[in-house]
Amino acid sequence: MEPIASHENWRNCFSEVAPGLLLFARQWVQSAADAEDIVQDAFVKFWRRNHDIDNRGLLYSAVRSLALDFIRRDARRARREATALAEVDSAIEPHFELEDDTQSALAAAVESLPRDQREVLVLKIWNDLTFSEIAGALGISQNTAASRYRYALSNLKKTFQPQ
Amino acid sequence: MNDFSELENELKKLRPAQPSPMLIERVGEALENCPASASGAKRKRWRFTEWWRREASGMDGRLVGARDRERTSQTPYNHWWSLGFGLAAAAVLILFAVVTLERRHQQLETVAQTSTPETRAAPLETEQSTTRSKFVPAGGTNVVYNARDEGLHFADRSGRPVRRVRYNKQQTWRWRNPETGASLRVSYPSEEIVLIPVSVQ
Repeated sequence: MEPIASHENWRNCFSEVAPGLLLFARQWVQSAADAEDIVQDAFVKFWRRNHDIDNRGLLYSAVRSLALDFIRRDARRARREATALAEVDSAIEPHFELEDDTQSALAAAVESLPRDQREVLVLKIWNDLTFSEIAGALGISQNTAASRYRYALSNLKKTFQPQ
Repeated sequence: MNDFSELENELKKLRPAQPSPMLIERVGEALENCPASASGAKRKRWRFTEWWRREASGMDGRLVGARDRERTSQTPYNHWWSLGFGLAAAAVLILFAVVTLERRHQQLETVAQTSTPETRAAPLETEQSTTRSKFVPAGGTNVVYNARDEGLHFADRSGRPVRRVRYNKQQTWRWRNPETGASLRVSYPSEEIVLIPVSVQ
């Protein structure tokens, strides 16, 4: 039996998609460590079946489904941590590598978006998915994905004006 | 959409936080531990069951219509063939099981008659299992999410006042198994009361 890890390009693919995947997973879980566990499970499952990154909508779908399972399974712990860490978590484990105050304000504005808009925005901007792939990953229509994206940008524009 | 192009550019300048260096190693270990042909085996099994189903129904994978169903019921010899093969396979399996059991029984007897040298096999297995289940500490966090000053108190009947401060914390400890990539995490709330002596002048 040939081990899957010997297939050449998993490392390149993973290095390329991991930051975006982690950001996507963190739309549901607060802790970066939990998000990494979810991303690891999803990528391993995905790579076992596919051996390449062509149908990547499935990968994001797997991350989403594992994150939702995680929330359901650990609902009590998640609630406790959410209340305990709500204020300090983003300062300890930020979602972005921030360079200046403008970026901090923009990141804060992104995090204040409704979740359905935020997940489309994250998939589109930081994961370069097409609306068709986003629709497949989230189980919605392409039109819904596109309109959520527009709403997200419009909301961001209201709260944040680039200088 | 063009209205948003400037905003989109600003958003794209934001770089998501990088994963920890351990994550790639963990993924590599997890992929090494799983065989590539797992999905292939599943596919083969599906093909076998599909073939078996087709053989049993006497069809070539077509949808079974009412007329076809009638025809298969009129030609039951296919089922007899299947039944014959099944019975033969079952008989071979039973024979094999009986022979294996007998051989194992004989081996057990010889082990009982001889003595100690072979009894060392068991500790080796347990050693292997303990190395596989070895977890090493991978970090921890101690987050103080609330601190309440409860004012001055006189502790231990002494005349000196102390200030009592109550801290609420969330402690999290992580362990990781470097071989299997499994991780263990314990998270619990804790409370700490600190007494700070106050000097009164």
